[in-house]
Amino acid sequence: MGYGRSDSYRVATTQDKDKSPKKKKGGKDMDELKKEVPITEHKMSIEEVCRKFQTDCVQGLTNAKAAEYLIRDGPNALTPPPTTPEWVKFCRQLFGGFSVLLWTGAILCFLAYAIQAATEDDPAGDNLYLGIVLTAVVVITGCFSYFQEAKSSKIMESFKNMVPQQALVIREGEKVQINAEEVVGGDLVEVKGGDRIPADIRVVSAHGCKVDNSSLTGESEPQSRSPDNTHDNPLETRNVAFFSTNCVEGTARGIVICTGDRTVMGRIATLTSGLETGKTPIAKEIEHFIHIITGVAVFLGVTFFILAIVLGYSWLEAVIFLIGIIVANVPEGLLATVTVCLTLTAKRMAKKNCLVKNLEAVETLGSTSTICSDKTGTLTQNRMTVAHMWFDNQIHEADTTEDQSGASFDKSSVTWLSLARVAGLCNRAQFKAGQDALPILKRDVAGDASESALLKCIELCCGSVRANRDRNKKVAEIPFNSTNKYQLSIHETEDTNDNRYLLVMKGAPERILDCCSTIMVQGKEQPMDEELKESFQNAYMELGGLGERVLGFCHTMLAEDQYPKGFAFDTDDVNFQTDQLCFIGLMSMIDPPRAAVPDAVGKCRSAGIKVIMVTGDHPITAKAIAKGVGIISEGNETVEDIAARLNIPVSQVNPRDAKACVIHGTDLKDLSQDQMDDILRNHTEIVFARTSPQQKLIIVEGCQRLGAIVAVTGDGVNDSPALKKADIGVAMGISGSDVSKQAADMILLDDNFASIVTGVEEGRLIFDNLKKSIAYTLTSNIPEITPFLLFICANIPLPLGTITILCIDLGTDMVPAISLAYETAESDIMKRQPRNPFRDKLVNERLISIAYGQIGMIQAVAGFFAYFVILAENGFLPSRLVGIRLNWDDRSVNDLEDSYGQQWTYEQRKIVEFTCHTAFFVSIVVVQWADVIICKTRRNSVFQQGMRNKILIFGLFEETALAAFLSYCPGMDVALRMYPLKPSWWFCAFPYSFLIFVYDEVRKLLLRRNPGGWVERETYY
Amino acid sequence: MDLVTLVVFGSWLAPALGSAFGREVFASAENADKDYDSAFEYDYESLRIGGLVFAVVLFVLGIVLIVTKKCSCSSDKPRPKDPDVETAVPIAQ
Repeated sequence: MGYGRSDSYRVATTQDKDKSPKKKKGGKDMDELKKEVPITEHKMSIEEVCRKFQTDCVQGLTNAKAAEYLIRDGPNALTPPPTTPEWVKFCRQLFGGFSVLLWTGAILCFLAYAIQAATEDDPAGDNLYLGIVLTAVVVITGCFSYFQEAKSSKIMESFKNMVPQQALVIREGEKVQINAEEVVGGDLVEVKGGDRIPADIRVVSAHGCKVDNSSLTGESEPQSRSPDNTHDNPLETRNVAFFSTNCVEGTARGIVICTGDRTVMGRIATLTSGLETGKTPIAKEIEHFIHIITGVAVFLGVTFFILAIVLGYSWLEAVIFLIGIIVANVPEGLLATVTVCLTLTAKRMAKKNCLVKNLEAVETLGSTSTICSDKTGTLTQNRMTVAHMWFDNQIHEADTTEDQSGASFDKSSVTWLSLARVAGLCNRAQFKAGQDALPILKRDVAGDASESALLKCIELCCGSVRANRDRNKKVAEIPFNSTNKYQLSIHETEDTNDNRYLLVMKGAPERILDCCSTIMVQGKEQPMDEELKESFQNAYMELGGLGERVLGFCHTMLAEDQYPKGFAFDTDDVNFQTDQLCFIGLMSMIDPPRAAVPDAVGKCRSAGIKVIMVTGDHPITAKAIAKGVGIISEGNETVEDIAARLNIPVSQVNPRDAKACVIHGTDLKDLSQDQMDDILRNHTEIVFARTSPQQKLIIVEGCQRLGAIVAVTGDGVNDSPALKKADIGVAMGISGSDVSKQAADMILLDDNFASIVTGVEEGRLIFDNLKKSIAYTLTSNIPEITPFLLFICANIPLPLGTITILCIDLGTDMVPAISLAYETAESDIMKRQPRNPFRDKLVNERLISIAYGQIGMIQAVAGFFAYFVILAENGFLPSRLVGIRLNWDDRSVNDLEDSYGQQWTYEQRKIVEFTCHTAFFVSIVVVQWADVIICKTRRNSVFQQGMRNKILIFGLFEETALAAFLSYCPGMDVALRMYPLKPSWWFCAFPYSFLIFVYDEVRKLLLRRNPGGWVERETYY
Repeated sequence: MDLVTLVVFGSWLAPALGSAFGREVFASAENADKDYDSAFEYDYESLRIGGLVFAVVLFVLGIVLIVTKKCSCSSDKPRPKDPDVETAVPIAQ
């Protein structure tokens, strides 16, 4: 396609590139794949190719040969990426990340029970139960998340196109339709418009054949195909068509040179599935959290182990204590909470058309600091559209929006009507049948992309083109070819009395101008003077500079005396006038950006996310689109722009002055790693043009090397290696190729780039809310551990048992902790910078200090208060309790005296003890009310945040109801050893609950009053 | 917020009354017998019933809350579309 724009762009896709040293790390295979395509057949003559494959370019392969090749090379299909067996996936859920902590806890419990069983006659079952419950929790949560992911992979399955591809091959001189999988190297295949190319083929003959390579190279314009070698690079040459690209129009015949995984497409797919990806940011955070928790647990455990030894316990007892303390530190409910929170967010995102394939990827977009976006199909609509017109000496803007909501231009000019007539008549594209009900823009068109664009534009503005064509019957036509660079047709006129013929012509503007002697202005023909020519040149330059493809239009009425009715027009040996025509105007086309993209890019900007465009398309188009969507913001210049403005050579411009830069693929391959880092670091607005799939991968790796968390969006096969390598790959659900969807972690079901903003927002929100959930859940760990510690050190009767601890962690705390996932954001989370993965951790010391050191301690005091109140009411004053443990737990002592001298049997004592457990439990529930309310916010006051989270209020009600039920339900004394509490005992913890609320409100007040002050530095988590 | 505390305290009233009733029985029994050696006596029956009623009331209230949430959610669905409105509401409350 040579219209209006020279094709002399430098070519990035190379054969001898990519030997950057780091590539050598990977296996030999990967190295091999990262190199460029080894196809050489395009440079051979057809005969040589035939000889190589022992085939004939007329007769095709013999059936025997074909069968032989099929056995040798295997079927012509991509090897599906190695799928992990279901049980491996399940095990990954069962033993991954957080579960490890719980498994360790469970094993320690069983170990402790084993020690107890071996040493004691009548071992307490607590450790056994705890071990069983822990195991159950991990297994159930594992199943839950396994089914969650299975659900989204089921949706993935539905994307797969099950229709087997057919291919038309010529074997032994006969055309046969076979399954595309059976095509072998050397086969002579025939493709026509609308077909999918069945393998990589060397074109032998072609008739107006054009292929759409956009999924392979990112070029939005269809490329013509012919038998001649036009370029050394196989990706650039005209005589090779690639597997799984589409033939848009025309027909071609070619010899298959590569099949299956050896095709260009297959190599990319194999490269993609071979890439290894790192851990998701949230997985890293959870790992960090596990380290902290384990550290705290081991520290406490060892400290009290030593203390127990010092206090004179036996070794075995001390080991049991050690294990008990470590296990008590495991937040049993947190795994489930985190999983449910992530699932809820995933569901919420699915509702907004973001399908998340992997639960952990839910958060990743929130941490993203760089988005590398493909252009074609992601930022743009992937359809050519008329964007501008020049007539009446003026540039007019056409409406390029998807829903025709944009501004329109003045359509009353006579020149416009002529222009529309020429564009409609001199146009071979037509709507496919049976689409009258569809909106014009949605209809399928048979024909070239730019002709379709013209067709749709004219149909929209001036009504049915078909009717117009019917009225103006075509009598002759010269189709476009690259030597003429114009297309011409001759029509009868609408007016039946007018016997003249109308000649219409379109083509490369400079070519059209050469044919014209007059120009139409305001409907009147005027002689073409220098001034108008200059004005034409300016308009042409301006539109070309916008990255648009410009076409010129002209017409003339053929004189009746020379060309009477019935004149035999000969299009081969042109026997009619093709000069002295009347120039009408220019129309320029571009693949316009999607409507929602500029806004989305703006939002990403304000959220501190750098948006980089990485495209296979030409730099001028890429830059124009980048400017259009705001990736290069208004007023920012590239080095070249500055050079042009100041009229100095590019080398004299200080690169630091330019915020934006457009980098060509050929330049990219010459860059060293340092230069690459330099570019990524110093330019805020970057466009990479003419990049190969391998280079996209290098760009992503470069960003990651600088510590960025990278999201990649793309739809084509050429994007898939980058999608896979990125921290989060986002593929397009409708237009995206299967390979890209497979490589991605997230799929935008509506192809709307703006959904990414939703993803970022949800990701950031869930990160904040997970912090809150964890802070809430961890807090109750302290009132759960301290009773055991005091039991060891002060020898008091056990204030809180294992069963009650489980009731809190897996019962009452669950709903409130999950409800925090429904909290709304405290401030505008889209206005702050992305989190720094090295500094802003999910769980940090400050969170632990608040949860364990401050709120947790108050809670523990509240619990002990209730414990001592009940024992005192029963006659055991605190002073009597210290050191009582051995007697208290001794079955044979049935006359233990309290502070008042009353004697207690073992059974009676135990009932009081379990009542204390229940009261301690209820006290924790009461203080957790306050805790969940203070955890709602990290900075704001609750009064600012409000209590609009109904799930949270529901959680408060349910946890209290559950506590009351556990305490009062008949039979609980046997089942869980929980006893009914006197109403007054419920109120023991109330003051503490209030204290927690006030304490934290004051802390947050100080935090807000002194930004950056001591309180913020020490307590803001 | 006020409403919530009111409801919580309101629901507290029922078992609190029940318990007062229970205590009176206990006191009168004590007065009549004056048997200081008898084991702890407490009207656990009415306490249990009071507690369970309390639990059920809270449970039902919670469910009602969720159900009404769904209704109100569907009725003002267009609201969350505008982020400004969403942030403005809690301040107004």
